[in-house]
Amino acid sequence: MTPAILIQLAVNGIAIGAIYALPALGISLIWNAAGLFNFAQADLLTLGAYVMYALVVSAKIPYIWAFIITTIVMGLLGYLLSRIYFYPMIENRVNPHIVLIGTVALSVFIQNLLLVIWGTTPKSVVNPFGYMPFRVGDIFVMPHVVWIVAIVSVLLLLLQFFLRRTLIGTGMRAVAQQQIASWLMGIRNDRMIALTFLLSTAIAATGGVLISAVFPLTPRMGSMIAVKAMAAVLIGGLGSFSGALVGGLAVGISETIFATLVNPAYRDVFIFAVLITFLIFKPGGIFKAEISEKV
Amino acid sequence: MAKLQQVFKRYGLLILGILLLVAPLVSAQYQFYVLERGVQNAIHVMGLLILIGYSGMLSLGSAGLLATGAYAYALLLLKLGFSPWLGAIFAVVITTLVGLCLAFPAFRLSGPFLAVTTIGFGEIIRILILNLEPITGGAYGVSGYSKLFANELHVYFFMVVALICIAIGTERLGRSRIGLALKATKEDEIAAEVMGVNVKRAKVVAFALSAMLAGLSGVILANLAGYLSPDSFTSAESSSYLLMVVMGGMNSAIGVIVSSIVVTWLPEVLRFLSSSRLLVYSLVLLVYLRINHVPATRERFLGILRKFGIRRAADAAEDPCGERGAGM
Repeated sequence: MTPAILIQLAVNGIAIGAIYALPALGISLIWNAAGLFNFAQADLLTLGAYVMYALVVSAKIPYIWAFIITTIVMGLLGYLLSRIYFYPMIENRVNPHIVLIGTVALSVFIQNLLLVIWGTTPKSVVNPFGYMPFRVGDIFVMPHVVWIVAIVSVLLLLLQFFLRRTLIGTGMRAVAQQQIASWLMGIRNDRMIALTFLLSTAIAATGGVLISAVFPLTPRMGSMIAVKAMAAVLIGGLGSFSGALVGGLAVGISETIFATLVNPAYRDVFIFAVLITFLIFKPGGIFKAEISEKV
Repeated sequence: MAKLQQVFKRYGLLILGILLLVAPLVSAQYQFYVLERGVQNAIHVMGLLILIGYSGMLSLGSAGLLATGAYAYALLLLKLGFSPWLGAIFAVVITTLVGLCLAFPAFRLSGPFLAVTTIGFGEIIRILILNLEPITGGAYGVSGYSKLFANELHVYFFMVVALICIAIGTERLGRSRIGLALKATKEDEIAAEVMGVNVKRAKVVAFALSAMLAGLSGVILANLAGYLSPDSFTSAESSSYLLMVVMGGMNSAIGVIVSSIVVTWLPEVLRFLSSSRLLVYSLVLLVYLRINHVPATRERFLGILRKFGIRRAADAAEDPCGERGAGM
């Protein structure tokens, strides 16, 4: 066991952790805006990955265009979900348990829809980043690791800029802080919540596109990623921007190291054990969302 | 007609029990098997009624407890040589103890946080079963254990009698001190505690009872199937149990029995969809939640029902849920 191997594992973990951070961020955004924990976020990610598969492999659209179309289509889907399904329930003050059950049902629905359309055979999309690892000291880095980290960083910076510097972003943050007050200030809550759903679904879809480059796709992939995304968001701190990112990276790195050093079969058990320990002893997570930090 | 409704309300459970007891006489072999599974699910879902319906604690790991019951029964018989009845009793006790562990996180957590914990719990049990191959047989599953009854019909009658007793018990529990305490906790935990409700004790009771019923249902499942594999206990299965309790109205034992049997039967009616059982379940659940809980949509839906002359059904649906099945 040399430090080089540890660093090697950590580098591999960062790429996958960055992907986990995306649905985690979506869960956080929706939690802030609508007080709703979306269990279907990781399945929206999988759906995005399958849309990408349909566009690239079945329809033979160039990769970049397929990426853009996937993000837009999934964003619109998120908007519609909020408009047609979740906002009417929130508006009527339906018991949060019921809305929660609704997101669980949505998650099962998406998984089985994928199963019916595409079947259980794993599908793979081409890896556009190439397969030639390059060497930094003793460590080999796959090109997709660099690309994924770069794309996720740019995405997060853009998102921060949008939320902090634009009028719509400020409106979204206002709704997250105080719904009634922001409504009295003339902000349309329904639109802002729908917009939040749009953003978080588009982010999840981006995660789906990135993961489709690395892993073969299966309909049940959503529940595997859901575990990691929920762990990320709860370990990092529900409702916090940096929490989702740090949580995602922590989950990605620690699961890679655990799977290699201890036993890959118990990887999910390990993540759940850490998650449950955190929930019991530190329910707020690492970054407990302060009002000022709320996304 | 009104009188008939009253009779139904008062003796609903009794009528349902008699119907279930005579059902094997008129049903074909395969239909009978589906019915058996429906009754077995109903026993499990009755536990979820206590947990989700009465106390509002969303559990998505119930398949894990079902698996604990079923596997505990099979392994006690196979590895330790217990007799079937002793094995069944011990399996139920073990499941109850395992389920009790879940009550401790529930002291501090609620809503989505508790739901995530229960998902984690269910998945941990499934992964352990899958990977501890020397003990549980892993993905190959276990079979070859002896059963409680030699005659399949006797299992069924045992199940129905147990189900009716459990249903009466659950209804009574709902109106007892502890049931009222649970319902108060569901509405507002802090207010309940201030009013002198022992919230912790109520939660422990709810988890213990629901785990006990899941264990019993698991033992019966092992008896019905004769073969156990981890595939039958995925988290997706947990959500089909969720559908059964939600469709049952979350408040009445009769509702749970009817919805469990109907939902178990659903894929037989929708045979043309073959592998997409859960797709149908989740779609039904999504639409039901949306229609039933948003007043504007609900009105429109009832209006459509009336237009097509299904007036009585629409009027009955306008009854507040709590009234249904309050008789017995």
